[in-house]
Amino acid sequence: MKIAACIKWVALRPDIDPLSGSVETDDRFSGVSAADQAAVEWALRMGEAWGASVTVATVGASIAESALRDALACGATTAIRIDIEHPLPSAAVGRELAAALADADLIVCGDWSLDRGSGSVPPFLAHARGAEQACGLVALSLDATGVVRAERRLDGGRRERLIVRAPAVLAVEGSTARLRRAPLGGVLSSARSSIDVRTPSTPNPAEPVRLVHARPFRPRTKIVDGPHGSVRDRSNALLGMGSTRTPPQRLVLDPEVAAEHILAALHAWGEIDDPASAEGQ
Amino acid sequence: MPDFEVVVVGAGPAGSIAALSLARLGHSVCLLERGPFPGSKNVYGGVIYGRILDELIPHWWEHAPVQRWITRRGTMLLTDHQSLCIDYRSTAWAQAPYNGATAYRPDFDKWLADEAVKAGATLVSSTTATGLVRTNRGLVGGVKTDREGDLMANVVIACDGVNSFLAKEAGLYPNFSKDHLTLGVKEVLALPRQEIEARFGIRSGTNEGADLEIVGGTQGIAGGGFVYTNLDTISIGAVLSLGGLSASKVRPEEVIAGLKAHPSLAPLVDGAELKEYSAHLIPEGGFDAMPEVVGDGLLVAGDAAGLCLAAGLWLEGVNYAIGSGKCAADAVHEAIAKGNFSKAGLVSYKDRLEATFVLRNHRKTRKAAHLLLSDRLQNRYPQIACDLLEQLYTVEDPLPKRGALTIGRALWKGSGLRIRHALRDGRDALKIYG
Repeated sequence: MKIAACIKWVALRPDIDPLSGSVETDDRFSGVSAADQAAVEWALRMGEAWGASVTVATVGASIAESALRDALACGATTAIRIDIEHPLPSAAVGRELAAALADADLIVCGDWSLDRGSGSVPPFLAHARGAEQACGLVALSLDATGVVRAERRLDGGRRERLIVRAPAVLAVEGSTARLRRAPLGGVLSSARSSIDVRTPSTPNPAEPVRLVHARPFRPRTKIVDGPHGSVRDRSNALLGMGSTRTPPQRLVLDPEVAAEHILAALHAWGEIDDPASAEGQ
Repeated sequence: MPDFEVVVVGAGPAGSIAALSLARLGHSVCLLERGPFPGSKNVYGGVIYGRILDELIPHWWEHAPVQRWITRRGTMLLTDHQSLCIDYRSTAWAQAPYNGATAYRPDFDKWLADEAVKAGATLVSSTTATGLVRTNRGLVGGVKTDREGDLMANVVIACDGVNSFLAKEAGLYPNFSKDHLTLGVKEVLALPRQEIEARFGIRSGTNEGADLEIVGGTQGIAGGGFVYTNLDTISIGAVLSLGGLSASKVRPEEVIAGLKAHPSLAPLVDGAELKEYSAHLIPEGGFDAMPEVVGDGLLVAGDAAGLCLAAGLWLEGVNYAIGSGKCAADAVHEAIAKGNFSKAGLVSYKDRLEATFVLRNHRKTRKAAHLLLSDRLQNRYPQIACDLLEQLYTVEDPLPKRGALTIGRALWKGSGLRIRHALRDGRDALKIYG
């Protein structure tokens, strides 16, 4: 049995210029998200419970190795970094991870990354591996070897209970577990551990966003019927010229009689039903 | 079997230089840092004087993450509505090897620690040393940490900052007192680079900078203030005696607000955006408040050893930390060669400190804290100096002008100060600065 966890090195506290929208990141304030840390913790728990080796993998630049070393310090067996300098589309990341973790029976990922992640890598990874997938997991418990009982978040506050069997890809939320604190011996040995750095299978993937020439939006012309009748008739209709109407009246009445007058007028204008019949009901 | 020959606790300037020097001498060193990265926990309010780095890191100024090179230094005396500034500028300080620089400590400390790692030291961050481990012979033989497992070494160099728990645990701080500490508080305010250069009279487009030290303006609390320029931020803050701050019932951020509102400083910071607020204890007790710096298997360096020179004209800390880290490394190297890690084997550390600027300057300025934090220096003399100049500069036609001596005599008489106090202060000042 082999377990794997996938993590992503992201800016945890990006500085966003409110005017230009430009994003500045600082490696000192970067790391992996709570969800990815939970994924590593679950992978370690699975490894301990089932006596399995745990591999931690990432697709990223060399700075991401510090996160891999943290995972090694916590107890992961091996670490793999697929060396890229520029971000890849989620599908390509899924393919790269699937190739690197071809022998893993269960792969645990964070549900989505902090850098505007869409949560699509775990499904792409599951697809590339031909494995089952269970995403948005909010609770897990370990069963027999290779079997996980999980609870998944659904719309409307509902939950779905699943029994997931290897081979599978699990995507967990950050609230499910907190990554353990590495022992000092682990920290020291991880500093000396070697990390398996691999080149991506598609070294120059196509740009995820294709730029094309774009014109301003011009909607198709709508055909609208022209006005009917002469200009004079339409003007008269708008202004009420030539139509019969009751001129305004000024009445001084007792309140009771005045109320009856108002009701009668509203009925005459079609605003209310006959007051007499309404009173009967 | 120890994990390392030396464990250095704290990756500030003292710790990183100790680790760098020992690693270069071929020793196995672990540099322990409680923050997620070196410098993440550090605060300072002034200038880094890098002359001590010349030998350790040749041409360091070409690599160090410096914000601005200080070419303008001023000392301001503030009263409620007046200010008197002694303003000095030198273009010589704008050229290598430079005199002093402003820098962000997270950048500068990380750079120094990276130099130590490049030399072969092992950096372990996010790990706090929680206590000392003693060997069977009673020597310090490592540190306990907040992680599972102890870190064993032949020698521990404690560079764990002003409130050194390791030095206290080892019994090296018998007279530790809050009276030896001040509280530094600082705001970092963002302004466009060109605006900073215009407001501080710095040559446009250069990375020259200004550093203003302030006496007074701290709402009656003994201490002082500072303003200095970074590339696109200004740091403004105050250093306050803990006792005075506590008795005043004034919050430290209110003192900074008062400084920012002072008519002489408000135009410098007007419209700036607050980016950061920080506070830190400073060991300003001077020579007489220093701990024992050598124990069995333990050396103390940097702020942990109280090595911060707060002597009015000279407000320095980082260079003393670096100097003490270098001395500690050399002493440990000698002890390793002899195989003697007891106090007797490490005692050359103190001799090295005594032989260099580190303790010589502290010894020379040992009376400075007492003098500078006195009411006369903090409030009375600045008030007289400002009033004297105000009356000299005020034109009172048709009244005839009065001479400086006449005005000064009247002000002195009104102040209630005694000549003997002034003479004593003058004598102390001569001993310190003469």
